[in-house]
Amino acid sequence: MSGMKMVGLKLDGRTVQAPEGTSVLKAAELAGIAIPHFCYHPAFEAEGNCRMCLVEIEDLPKLELACSTVVREGLIVRTSTPSVLQARKDVLEFLLAEHPLDCPICDKAGECKLQEYYDRHGLFPGRFVEAKEKRDKKVAIGKGLLLDRERCILCTRCVRFLRKVTGTGELGVFERGVRAEIGTYDGVPVDNNYSGNLVDICPVGAITDTDFRFKTRAWFLKKGPTVCPICSRGCAVVVESVTGYPLGIDERKVFRIKAGENPSVNGTWICDLGRAGRRDIDERRHVRVMKNAVPEEELSWQKALADVTARIRAVPGPERSAKIAVVLNSRLTCEELVLARRIFAESLGLGKISFADPKPGAADGFLLTEERVPNARGVLQSGFSPVLPDLDTLAAAEVVLVFGSHLLEHFSEEAISRALAGIPSKFLFSAHAGPLDRSAEIVFPVAVPAEKSGTYVNIDGLRQSFGRAVEPPPGVVPELEIFGCLANGLGLNRGEPDAC
Amino acid sequence: MKIGRVLKELLRGAGITARHFFVNMVFHTLKLFGVRTKRRGAVTIQYPEERKELSPRHRSLHRVLSREDGKPRCVACMLCVTVCPSECLSVEAAEDDDPEVQKYPARFVVDLSRCCFCGFCVEACPVDAIRMDTGEIRLASYARSGLDLPLEKR
Repeated sequence: MSGMKMVGLKLDGRTVQAPEGTSVLKAAELAGIAIPHFCYHPAFEAEGNCRMCLVEIEDLPKLELACSTVVREGLIVRTSTPSVLQARKDVLEFLLAEHPLDCPICDKAGECKLQEYYDRHGLFPGRFVEAKEKRDKKVAIGKGLLLDRERCILCTRCVRFLRKVTGTGELGVFERGVRAEIGTYDGVPVDNNYSGNLVDICPVGAITDTDFRFKTRAWFLKKGPTVCPICSRGCAVVVESVTGYPLGIDERKVFRIKAGENPSVNGTWICDLGRAGRRDIDERRHVRVMKNAVPEEELSWQKALADVTARIRAVPGPERSAKIAVVLNSRLTCEELVLARRIFAESLGLGKISFADPKPGAADGFLLTEERVPNARGVLQSGFSPVLPDLDTLAAAEVVLVFGSHLLEHFSEEAISRALAGIPSKFLFSAHAGPLDRSAEIVFPVAVPAEKSGTYVNIDGLRQSFGRAVEPPPGVVPELEIFGCLANGLGLNRGEPDAC
Repeated sequence: MKIGRVLKELLRGAGITARHFFVNMVFHTLKLFGVRTKRRGAVTIQYPEERKELSPRHRSLHRVLSREDGKPRCVACMLCVTVCPSECLSVEAAEDDDPEVQKYPARFVVDLSRCCFCGFCVEACPVDAIRMDTGEIRLASYARSGLDLPLEKR
């Protein structure tokens, strides 16, 4: 915030500094004072329709909105006087007069602002004896989104998101006064690549996602922050999963992926492809080492990998460059790529290191990029020059190691199996089951990016390190460990010996 | 020598039994004549032929209650699952076509091999859908699978 003019104001008796032009709400947040709010969202201009953020400002006759009052030098703000607390209660009482007590069946329960604020600022007994207004409980507004008009508190965050962020403006407020409701124009559904954010920004459970609806409760979810591996933008995401109870023992399921916060990359938004990435973590996963397309219950990956090192060692040194081929991919982390480079390029002296990546898609002009891999810059920085493998040169090799199953996106299944048919030793390291499994001699299960910790370099050259968001299934490890074992087995390790 | 010690212990045991018999008889006799005593004679119930009546606030096998139209009352909010200290409940929610119901349990299984009959699930239920008042207390089974009770089918 250097260069920005700071103004001094008094917040609850404390003198604090805030950059000029910020709202009282933001200034309070910076000072560690939380002012409750529904309609305010840092990404949009303040609208001030929920009236929840009322605060007392000296010399002003009435309570003022913290979200739309800009800080001034010498402003004296009080956020917890009796009149402010009473105003919060009153706002909550008005909202709850029409809000159904749906919490047991509402997906938002546990992370709902209305629930949270009632607990913190409300706690009044209900005084309304009148029946609550009946409205539509299940309106499909497009892309798996369901709108519950009874739960809606008309904060218009969704309307503003679609107008200001995506620019598509599919939703609007229709009718006036007590009949006001959110709806689509002439039934034209919400259809953009950022629709999932509507569920995230809805402060109550009015907009829910059919993909998550009724699957579990919010308080069971373990949140693991990581970097999205779908494209080269590298958005911050939070993988929300349950391991064990209330699922079965040792069962693991990723229920949803939500947007994380990273002001320098994605702000607070992520695209729907990133959200759908939860299927990559759970579905079609390899969990066992497969030998000749048969899953081996007893065979550990360490034992199977000893076989791989033996085959590599069997190739005499001078012939290695021609007889060993390696296919990597740009979903590997920088750490893995560095290790791969040490092993395959520097120690074994291989010339045939190629890359098979998902095919580029169309960029959408906002977050989603054309490159559908997270670490293309990291590949370059690790000293590789990624080229697509040539099937003829692959067929001439004796030992082939393929990481990832994206060869299929560039060559037909028959062409690959024909090329691999004559190779005596072919090993596949893949997280997901697929047609390539049949062509490989041994298939090793590997972790998906969410189960790894490492570093990705995004399209703008930003290096982002991330931790493990979910535990991999038992017996499944990241490529980093496989490379480490491979280095040990080949006698390249100069550091401390590890498990293998 | 050894036999003598065994006999001595046998007689001591018989003495204890006899003592209990006579002490209990005294208290039962006193009760018969209407004399109130602090201690009461022990009663043996010939279970399973004879059954003691369960207290009205006892906790026995769970049941899931139905609405008037036969649908389960449970809305699959999983508060029972959340509160369960022995982690024995497993509820899977499904979407009901009726927008007033919305959510119902497609699967509601209690693992009796883990249940400690604390009754927290009954306390936590916001719609009074689960109760532990069936009076069913003989829940033994020859196989563990027999202890996984799907309650949504009852």
